[in-house]
Amino acid sequence: MVGLIGYPFSRAIWLSFTDKLVGYPERFVGLRNYVYLAEEDTFRTVVRNSLVFTVASVALKVLTGLAMALVLHATWRWRNFFRGLLLLPWITSTVIIALTWRWMFDAFPGRGFFNSVLLDAGLLTRPIAFMATPEGAMAAVVVANWWRGFPFFGVSYLAGMQSIPGELYEAAAVDGAGAWRRFWHITLPGLQHVMVVTILLTFIFTLNDFNIIYVMTRGGPGTATQVFATYSYEVAFNQLRWGRGVTISIYVVPLLIALIPLVSRHLLRERAA
Amino acid sequence: MRTGRLATVLGLGAFALVVLVPFWWIASMSFKTYEQIQFAQSIYVPRPFTWENYTGLWLGTRFPLWLRNSAITAIVVTAITTVVACLGGYAVARLRFPGREAVASLILILYLVPPALLFIPLYRVLAELGATNSLAALFLSYPTFTVPFCTWLLIGFFKALPIELEEAALVDGATRLQALRRVLLPLAAPGIVAAAIFAFTLSWNEFLYALVFIQDERTLTVPVGLNLLIYGDVFHWGELMAASVITTVPVVTLYMFIHRWMVEGLAAGSVKG
Repeated sequence: MVGLIGYPFSRAIWLSFTDKLVGYPERFVGLRNYVYLAEEDTFRTVVRNSLVFTVASVALKVLTGLAMALVLHATWRWRNFFRGLLLLPWITSTVIIALTWRWMFDAFPGRGFFNSVLLDAGLLTRPIAFMATPEGAMAAVVVANWWRGFPFFGVSYLAGMQSIPGELYEAAAVDGAGAWRRFWHITLPGLQHVMVVTILLTFIFTLNDFNIIYVMTRGGPGTATQVFATYSYEVAFNQLRWGRGVTISIYVVPLLIALIPLVSRHLLRERAA
Repeated sequence: MRTGRLATVLGLGAFALVVLVPFWWIASMSFKTYEQIQFAQSIYVPRPFTWENYTGLWLGTRFPLWLRNSAITAIVVTAITTVVACLGGYAVARLRFPGREAVASLILILYLVPPALLFIPLYRVLAELGATNSLAALFLSYPTFTVPFCTWLLIGFFKALPIELEEAALVDGATRLQALRRVLLPLAAPGIVAAAIFAFTLSWNEFLYALVFIQDERTLTVPVGLNLLIYGDVFHWGELMAASVITTVPVVTLYMFIHRWMVEGLAAGSVKG
């Protein structure tokens, strides 16, 4: 296992110091790839897009996940049924989710859900090309990623809520705390651990997401939704500059090195308890 | 209390709509004719209802071949993963050897390394092995993410089982392998099934590695093949929807029967966003 991940990883580091072009032998060029990217406008856009995509998706997932958990927690019948139903997007193939949302936002009424419904209701007179503008395309990929991920947040937070002892709520109610104060002072602190874990994990995976963006927009229009993974693929497999392509993904490594120990400490503590 | 219940019902309804509308949109489009999609007729329910997309997909494209490739890959990877993860999980959970905690952390870290970081160097390694452009590339690369995740899941499961049962078996003269096979495995069956299903779903849905490692159209898996249908021929919408439905149905059916195990497996083992 270590071989299958560690060896390619060390090859990645070595490649990033070369000017490897497909079909040519590699030459050592030191930090030239890193310097080139740091000065490139596209790469700066990529960094910004990745952060916008990740932060927006994670924030939406946390908020809707909390709402979903509260609703499920208050459900008095068929809770398992609804939990299973709401978890459906999480087991569906990401590529199919991306295709689905691509059609949902399609500019053409027969294919695009939003255009069909809004035109049919008379709220629009002409279809809107949602994915043709930079902001629209970014919003579309964020929505698709949110839809895939929020059910998992909801189910995790529900499990967290179920493990908070009921006596805490009873005591608070006796002391005259309203529903909002009980949520703020009991539920949220009780969920702190699971929230940290879900947020960090999803942050890592979303920052390196490839599937949704590649299938929905290919990074476009222009470079409006290009992120680390899609840009790395573009440079390595379309421009055939492997050294530079690898370097793009290595730029994320310092952040991973900072985040991974945080996540694993939380997860390992959970195990020990 | 009554307003609380009303809010819960409204909330459940809203979440169910958000989750189900995209699924319904795809399913309904898969039963529409080309004209119904093209001219935005019978927007909400396909009328008349047609199977032509399904027959066209099955007879006119390579979809059946891709489905077979996906199935073979998922089954092989699940088999490899389950065996390795059981042995690894058991070793870390039960055997005493120096560096046990370090191994547990390492497995977790390997799980957190995103595939977007590894696809370029893995491609080179597989090319040197002569494995690219065949399903063998996927058999070798998919365990890099399924094994760490499932091992981590199973460590938690094995640790939660009472050690006394095995000790009793060992005292009664069973070898360690017999104790594992006759006592622990039957008890851990729910966890192992959950791990196997996760491995299956992860390989069934994987996109990036399959996209990069395989070029031959006959060797593709479903997710990459679907992506080819969009760009290959613009007029395949209905068939694309039909393909999405066919790909999603087996996973969803499987999941309806065992989702409680999956959720509990997750709660025991944490975690994937």
